[in-house]
Parts: sequence; C-alpha cells; structure tokens
Amino acid sequence: MHIVDGALSNPVVIAGTAMAIGGIAMGLKQLTLERIPATGILSASFFVAALIHVPIGPSSVHLVLNGLAGLILGWAAFPALFVGLLLQTVFFGFGGVTVIGVNLLNIAAPAVLAWLLFGRLVERGTPMSGAIWAGVGGAFSIAATTICVAFSLALTGDEFIPAAKLVLLAHIPVMVIEALLTGAAVYLVRQVRPDLFTAVKGVAP
Amino acid sequence: MIRGLALIFALLAMPLPAAAHKVIFAIFKSGDVVEGELGFSNGDMSSGAVIEAFDSAGNKIGEAITDADGFFVYAPTQAITHIFKADMGAGHVAEAEMTADDIADILGVAAAEETVAKSTTPASPTATGGVTVASLSSEERLAIAEAVRDEMRPLRRELAAYREKNDLQTILGGLGYIFGLFGLYFYIAARRRMEG
Repeated sequence: MHIVDGALSNPVVIAGTAMAIGGIAMGLKQLTLERIPATGILSASFFVAALIHVPIGPSSVHLVLNGLAGLILGWAAFPALFVGLLLQTVFFGFGGVTVIGVNLLNIAAPAVLAWLLFGRLVERGTPMSGAIWAGVGGAFSIAATTICVAFSLALTGDEFIPAAKLVLLAHIPVMVIEALLTGAAVYLVRQVRPDLFTAVKGVAP
Repeated sequence: MIRGLALIFALLAMPLPAAAHKVIFAIFKSGDVVEGELGFSNGDMSSGAVIEAFDSAGNKIGEAITDADGFFVYAPTQAITHIFKADMGAGHVAEAEMTADDIADILGVAAAEETVAKSTTPASPTATGGVTVASLSSEERLAIAEAVRDEMRPLRRELAAYREKNDLQTILGGLGYIFGLFGLYFYIAARRRMEG
C-alpha cells in the first residue's frame, strides 16, 4: 500500500506529486470551518488504522480506512489523508518521503471517487441502506487503491497484471473488514448524529 | 454466478501473496565476506531473492541469492563502495550501502589472515615460548569467528525487529500532531471568518 523510495521512476513520482498537490488544493478549498473537526478525526483514524494488522496466511495486511474518510469528507479527504500519511512516513517509516505524492494519490483519489459514486446514496434513504452503500464504498476504495498501486508500479516497469493480482488478492480480507467498519461507522453516525453529513457539507465560507 | 466467482478467486489465490510491509535489509561485515539478510518487518524472511551489487557509479558488479533464512553472502573483489539492491516485486525494494573503507577492511583482513596463517603454521613448532595465542590455528580462529557470528545472528535480527516496532508513545505523538495541526487550521479559518 505504501510505496517506498526508489521503487518508482522519476516521471511517475513527479506526475503523482503534481496531481496530489492539485488534490490537496481542491480539498483545502472545500475545507470549511464546519468540516475541520471531522477532517481531523478522520485524519487521526487513518493514521492509526495502518497499525492494525490483519493476519492472512503467512503474511498480514493493514487497514486503510480511506473509504470512510472519502465518504464523509469528499475532496477534503486529500488534506486529511495527506497529514496522516505524512506522519506515518515520518514516524513509522511507511513508504518513502519522495513518493509521498504518489502514495497520497493512490489512497485519496479512490476515496474521492468512492464519494462521487456512493456519497449521495450513503446520505439518503434509511440508515441501514446508507450503511450498506457505505460498505460498498469502503470495499471499493480499497480495491481501487490496490489497482492504483499496481498501476503506479506498472508505469515503472513491473508487470501490471501479476502485480495487481498480488496486491488485490492480499487485500480481499481488508476489503471485507473495511466494508463492515465503514458500514458500521456510517450506520452509527446516521443514527446518532444524522446532521453530520449535512453539517459537513456546510455553507461556503 | 457466485460459484463461478468463487472458483475464479480460488484459482487466483493459488500463488499465495507474500505482499505487505516494510522490507528489512541489513548488511554487515562478516570475516572476509559481506553478509546480509533480507525479509519483511513481520518476520518473514525472503528466500531465493536476488541481491544485486552495484558500484557507486551504478554499474553492476555482482549478485547473490538469499538462502531459506533470507541470508546471503557476497565476496567483494574490489575495495570500492558497494551498493546492494534487492527487489522483491510489488514495490518492495531495498537498498543498502557499504563504504569503500569497510570493503577494504574486509579484503585487508582476509589478505592479512592468509599471510599470517602461512607464516605461523610452520613457525609455531620452533617457537616454544609457550604463547597460547599462537596455538590458535587459522582453522580454529575461523571456527570461533563462525560460532560468534552464529550467536550474534538472533541478536541482530531481534535488534532489526525492535527498530521496526511502533510503540504507543510514537502513536500518541502522531495523534497529538494531527489534532494540533487541525486545531491550528481551525483557529486560522475561524479568525478569517471573524474578520470577513
């Protein structure tokens, strides 16, 4: 999930960084006063989620929680995940400093995509249907992230199909767990604080 | 449909993925060779991986293959800076460097040991001074070095694993940074709104 320094060629790193900066700018523009606390909380949960390891077979993978961040924050997921990712890189050595742009893009872009696809469905209808769509969004963003990671590696020369297969398969358990977690989180929010989604949309500053 | 999907997944899952996690790649001087180990931070060692050695200009000068425990040995021939690179696919790459001084040390020690061994073995019967150090043959010395190295190995591995450990303080520190940053941003945004 976190690509390390030296695994990618320079053009890929530069293009990824440029796109990530664009995403952060877009997110900051949408980050109104009302959304900042939620953004901070989701940033913190993303930061910690990567430390929760799910053992599968001989190896293990970790949670990402980018789907939840995307569904609640929309574009603001970019700055939220950037802060989390930066601290993960500095404190835990996850991924490289130079490739942080590519890593952010791989994690935040699927989150935003999940929001564009499922965001409305999550907010509407009964809490239960919202939770189910949130689960779909959570699993989707993990799958999309693995494909993005494989694609970034493929641009540098790895074979795309085997690499994608490898990462995608390793993350099937994570997809299931994230779907349940995201669904449960959204269900809880819809029950307890149904105004979060509307408040988070906020009025323009 | 579901059964078909399940079958596809089952077939795809056949080559079990060894993905995820940080790569641990360490090299050390070991007698007259460079020894190293390659594995993942969760304790899986990487067997059969190709380690390539490059000089500082990026020219390939040799390679080694890891054994079942993720260990490899590389015998340097030139006293120049060696850069060892490992690529385990799926973005798991690692790099480690050994300076020219260290390599020269390895080569120098090896060369010195050979000459000492040659000169002392015929000389020892004549030298009856009773110096116990001289009684150590080069084979014994190598055996001792080997034993010490074997004893050190688990320690080194534990140390490498320890370095990868994330303790609670780091996590709390990170969370503190996050809340601080967003609090600061909240403050700035609030001020801007108050002014506006």
